[in-house]
Amino acid sequence: MVKLTIDGKKVEVEEGTTILQAAEKLEIPIPTLCYHPLLEPYAACRVCMVELKGETCKLVPSCNTKVAEGMEIETKSERAVKARKLNLELIMARAPAAEKVQELAKEMGIEKTRFEIIDPDEKCILCGLCVRTCEEIVGANAISFANRGKDRMVFTPYGEPSEACIGCTACAFFCPTEAITFEDIHKRLVVHEEMELGPSTAVRVPIRQAVPMVPFIDEDSCIHFKTGECKICERVCEKEAINHEMEDEEIEVEVGSIILASGFKSFDASRIPAYGYGRYENVITALEFEKLVNASGPTSGKILMTNGNEPQAVGIVHCVGSRDKKYNEYCSRVCCMYSLKFAHLLKEKTNAEVYDFYIDMRCFGKGYEEFYHRLMKEGTNFIRGRVSEVTDMPLTEKEEGKLIIRVEDTLLGEIRRIPVDMVILATGLEPGIDQNEIAKVFNISCSQDSFFLERHPKLAPVSTFSDGIFLAGACQSPKDIPDTVAQAGAAASQALALADKGTFELEPITAVINEELCAGCQLCVSLCPFTAINYNAEKGISEINDALCKGCGTCVSACPSGASQQKHFRDEQIFAEIEGIFIE
Amino acid sequence: MASYRLNIMICAGTGCVSNRAFQIREAFDKEIRKNSLEKEVLTVMTGCNGFCAAGPIVIVQPEGIFYQKLTVKDIPFLVEEHFLKGRPVKKFMYTPPKETEPIPKMNDISFFQKQVLIALRNKGIIDPEAIDDYIARDGYAALSKILSKMKPQDVIAEIKKSGLRGRGGGGFPTGLKWELARKAEGEQKYVICNADEGDPGAFMDRSIVEADPHTILEGMTIGAYAIGASKGFVYVRSEYPLAVERMHNAIAQSKEYGLLGDNILESGFNFDVDVIQGAGVFVCGEETSMIASIEGKIGEPKPRPPYPVEKGLWGSPTNINNVETWANVPAIILRGSDWFSKIGTKTSKGTKVFSVAGKIKDAGLVEVPMGLTLGEIIYDVAGGIHSDKKFKAVLIGGPSGGCLPADCLGLPVDYESLTKAGAMMGSGGLVVADEDNCMVEMARYFLNFTKDESCGKCTPCREGNAAMLDILTRITQGEGTMEDLDLLEDLAHAIKDTALCGLGNTAPNPVLTTLRYFRDEYIAHIKDKKCPAHECRQLNTYTIDEERCVSEGHGCDVCRRNCAYDAIMGEKGKAHRINQDKCAKCGVCYEVCKFAAVKVD
Repeated sequence: MVKLTIDGKKVEVEEGTTILQAAEKLEIPIPTLCYHPLLEPYAACRVCMVELKGETCKLVPSCNTKVAEGMEIETKSERAVKARKLNLELIMARAPAAEKVQELAKEMGIEKTRFEIIDPDEKCILCGLCVRTCEEIVGANAISFANRGKDRMVFTPYGEPSEACIGCTACAFFCPTEAITFEDIHKRLVVHEEMELGPSTAVRVPIRQAVPMVPFIDEDSCIHFKTGECKICERVCEKEAINHEMEDEEIEVEVGSIILASGFKSFDASRIPAYGYGRYENVITALEFEKLVNASGPTSGKILMTNGNEPQAVGIVHCVGSRDKKYNEYCSRVCCMYSLKFAHLLKEKTNAEVYDFYIDMRCFGKGYEEFYHRLMKEGTNFIRGRVSEVTDMPLTEKEEGKLIIRVEDTLLGEIRRIPVDMVILATGLEPGIDQNEIAKVFNISCSQDSFFLERHPKLAPVSTFSDGIFLAGACQSPKDIPDTVAQAGAAASQALALADKGTFELEPITAVINEELCAGCQLCVSLCPFTAINYNAEKGISEINDALCKGCGTCVSACPSGASQQKHFRDEQIFAEIEGIFIE
Repeated sequence: MASYRLNIMICAGTGCVSNRAFQIREAFDKEIRKNSLEKEVLTVMTGCNGFCAAGPIVIVQPEGIFYQKLTVKDIPFLVEEHFLKGRPVKKFMYTPPKETEPIPKMNDISFFQKQVLIALRNKGIIDPEAIDDYIARDGYAALSKILSKMKPQDVIAEIKKSGLRGRGGGGFPTGLKWELARKAEGEQKYVICNADEGDPGAFMDRSIVEADPHTILEGMTIGAYAIGASKGFVYVRSEYPLAVERMHNAIAQSKEYGLLGDNILESGFNFDVDVIQGAGVFVCGEETSMIASIEGKIGEPKPRPPYPVEKGLWGSPTNINNVETWANVPAIILRGSDWFSKIGTKTSKGTKVFSVAGKIKDAGLVEVPMGLTLGEIIYDVAGGIHSDKKFKAVLIGGPSGGCLPADCLGLPVDYESLTKAGAMMGSGGLVVADEDNCMVEMARYFLNFTKDESCGKCTPCREGNAAMLDILTRITQGEGTMEDLDLLEDLAHAIKDTALCGLGNTAPNPVLTTLRYFRDEYIAHIKDKKCPAHECRQLNTYTIDEERCVSEGHGCDVCRRNCAYDAIMGEKGKAHRINQDKCAKCGVCYEVCKFAAVKVD
């Protein structure tokens, strides 16, 4: 510990502490501009100068000077204050538009700078926070200083958009005077794939409504996973809960039953080129609209186009990727109702005219039809017909600068062109990308459309052909939230019932292998659809797991030596039965 | 080695080269061949002799006959008379002003008499490109002495005892710096030679590197042995191509001789040196900027501490010394600290090399013992003021130094006295000003330099120097106010107090010293709108003495014809007059009038 005196007050601090930190402890304010606790001291602005008393009485920058035993510091000495004020006046002349500098000047009692102002709009005070952030924290080194002396400026190489920039916007975040803004960075660089819906932080909860409400690190936007630097979150987390070195690991858990709820994948709207998704900025999918309209979203819930204006007319296109032989023949069930919700939100939040293009309005649930009627009363324009294309090629003056939805209105019996500002594609539900792999792992089957196959569509809708494996949610078929919750409840109670009983009823009719006859050819092992047969290498024979065997008989019919026999249906028994028939 | 009857040492310093020294050598060689003297006479291009005002200089050894201001046309006669017939040619020798008899030998010339040569001990005597020449003058004897007989601690103790202080400007005790570097923790350590000389009017470091590169290498090797470094860098500005070339050549030669590289002189000590060329940034002469530059980063200073001896090049302990400091080291080791510490004053030991320039008769490079007064350097060594005008001030220490007035001529040259007077030793530039120099303009000139060279990192240096320059420019144009003067003084103190590195800390020195010693000149500019030295032309009034114009010049009309602004009225044979409304105060009429009819006020 080091003892020192600041403005006559004694303080004891750890070795290696700076004067600024020691003064903070005594609650003695010292103005700073280029200092940031997360960055190495730069000591360039020179407004934190304090007077160091003693033999060589001199001014030192408090942000950078380490304390020493017996040091005597004056923060308000005439010499220090005069020098600080002059330096701030010089900064004021350089960057008259920097609000933070003006505020600090007011605090220090400076009304106006006595030096020549060259650019009244200049905001940059050359504190270097952006450059140092980019170097020390981000590790991207995308920006630096160019030129010498008064011509010094923050610059990218050759003034071109920097290839090294990863668009993390940390520079704008650290800039104290708004000389670099998020807009600046985004003008130069398109970073966010989601239609530039705005930056999302790398550490975040997936959505505000997420359960459990636990933050995660998004490796795609985390600076550390791009440059190997940063780790700011690790430094500031007092609970030391963050560990960047953590990796995915495989955990083995022994369980009695499994509920599969692997969910669905949203239909990729760019597969239908005619709808222009990915080509036109203001054609967005349902999930993107959900993000846009969310109060914790990039626009704080305001419905805005990419140019920042509110749309005047919005079209909602139903059945995108559903009920279409080219993509998916089935109905995705949920799109009609969420589209109606969107129409309602649009009516509520904007003054936009809303057009809803449907084939059939499928309002199947409780209170759904009533909601549809309410929407009609609210003035949503419902147009029956499948949209043939979305285009930006105007034919009339009214269509200029708009997106035009071309549709056959089957109620009017004519082709219509509806100009709108924004198009929302009600994308359907598809089985998850790895649906078939999951099915293989759990030894269950998929139906023709790749959703998991239940044991019986009416009598056993949550069970599968594998005992102890149950289904819940959209992995089995498209369904809405109430249906999913109901199915999940059913699956959970089935699994519980099994666990509660503590015993398991075996199939009475299973296969059995005669050890004396088995030649160990292992043909049965590869054929068994329930992986119930294991090869015992010690004995040189195949063995059947009674708990897994479903008695399908595949191995029995395939066994070349006749070693595999079905209980109660042995060859001798069947032959005896046949003989018995012939006796009569 | 072949021996020759005569060695013709031709100075290849900058001044002499621009006075056609290389052509003179060609002429010598041609004449020598013509007279079949190739086996008897050898021509050698040496480093700077120092007496630049007399260039191009040739010294004929072994007699030490000094020839000056030679031209190519003089050579055939000189070769025939001196080399063939053995009669030194008096008309090419140096004759002191007001005397008639020339001085044949160099060491008898007053310019050289008060000089004591340590760092420059080999200048003009050896061929800088021949290691054997250096060895013949006890070169590398100091290195062999320490490697065979001294422990690193002994070397440091010896340097400490000698009282050698940094010659780059700060005057930090060299031995102490070495000791700190030795004690600093780190496996890899570095030594650096700072040859990034950038002061206007300074050429000491350049001359030493060009005249005697091996002494620097030897000094660095000794320093590296003392602190435990295995790698060194010589940071030279690329504007010094000859220095770069000679340093490269010296490194190659000493490696060949086993005096550099692995296992030097079979001692097991390894040391290697690389040359790094600076890109002409003044602030890279500051040690933290230099380190950044060597690392390949932008040449910008970093706050100290940590000092380079603790955390320097690539984070390793690094010892940086100036060219002249390194050049002193071998001599101290060889002749002992007692000998060295007898030269100089109580606090400043040894000698200091100065480049004397400006309004001085014998401009050039001098090495004088510390403690000699400024007056002795200016009048006794450098011959006094040009055209015998009145001495006004001397700027010592380059743009970081201060302007000292005539009262300070009795000031002994040592670190403390100069700092007390508001100037600094700096690297050793001396620029002399006479009565025709305006001190405000002088301060403005040097500030303009530091403003241009400021890296721009810290506020006071970047913004403050430019603001001071603005004020000074206003004053020299007659637009200054007394408030400006107060603001200027406040600014100068604030910059000196708060700038980040040495460049900024010392940039206000010319302003502060001129304000201290020549405040009346500032006031004359502000209150009377007059420049007492008539250098700030915007404040001058040009008039023509009509009587003199006719009586002396017969109305020659030259001024009217040269006036670009049609401000002069008159015709040939008649008196001329200046229309003050039209006059742009360019001063051309004053310069072209051969009859002193144009008056300036």
